[in-house]
Amino acid sequence: MEVDILELSDRSAKFVLSNVRTAFANSIRRAMISDVPTLAIEYANIYDNTSVIYDEQLALRLSLIPLITDIESYVPQARCPTCGGEGCPVCEVSLSLSAEGPGMVFSRDMISSDPKIQPADGNIPIVDLKKGQKLVLEAIAHMGYGKDSVKWQAGIACGYKNMPIVSIENCDACGKCASECPKGIIHIEESGATISEEDLIKCSICRLCERMCEISAIKVSFNESAFVFTMESDGSYSARDLVLNAAKVIKGRAEELVGILDRL
Amino acid sequence: MIPVRCFSCGKVVSNYWVDYKKRVEAGENPAAVMDDLGITRYCCRRMLLSHVELVDVLSPYQ
Repeated sequence: MEVDILELSDRSAKFVLSNVRTAFANSIRRAMISDVPTLAIEYANIYDNTSVIYDEQLALRLSLIPLITDIESYVPQARCPTCGGEGCPVCEVSLSLSAEGPGMVFSRDMISSDPKIQPADGNIPIVDLKKGQKLVLEAIAHMGYGKDSVKWQAGIACGYKNMPIVSIENCDACGKCASECPKGIIHIEESGATISEEDLIKCSICRLCERMCEISAIKVSFNESAFVFTMESDGSYSARDLVLNAAKVIKGRAEELVGILDRL
Repeated sequence: MIPVRCFSCGKVVSNYWVDYKKRVEAGENPAAVMDDLGITRYCCRRMLLSHVELVDVLSPYQ
């Protein structure tokens, strides 16, 4: 297995994963979306809400705010070894919010009981309070999985495609493929059509060029064991940590399976 | 209020709203503002582009 990183920032990444099978690439993608636990607000005790939005709507907005998660210190509540699911400092965090209008209430106004756990973005508008309107609430955040609710989904727009392979032979430089290519990556030179190394990765394997070519000089295929991954994180983890945690989740499951098989 | 996340992909889009609104009201082209803010997918772009803010309309009837 080889990993070739093309782009890596705090919130997004693009990399080529090669010498693996489709099943493995897909399991990484699925783990990033649904199996990496994150913190999100699950309960809200609303003491006062005279704003324009209903309590339920307010709770929904709060739950969708991504919180910076420390996977080492928190465990999913259903599996909590300390309380068994009733709620304790190992599996939940409380955030309080109290505001009075006029003015916009932002996610940065929430005060967390654990200074490490903060909203990933401070400038998410929660509600616009008018003069005299009040908001007092306490929110409880739990660890959970993306497969249960979108609020616990750390990976955004995670996807992959096979590494494209385009071969050009005996080209007569007619230029039809270049004008048809939706990505505009085929360039016509005197010797024929060419695609540069860095542009090849942009190919979406649509095969329009292949169809346009009257002399079948251009052939498009893909490498079945190399994958171009694109992924983003919602901010609860950095992109790097999210991929690593997804790999750890898969590893943990494989070990669990080995343990079960041993006991049989 | 602007939805917190994009309905389709789940990217947080509401944190761009205050900035986006200010710049569009100042006369900038919405497409150029979204490109600048790094909102690349069309699912996220429609969230900002098609949003109608109703808080100011509803608040007198509270």
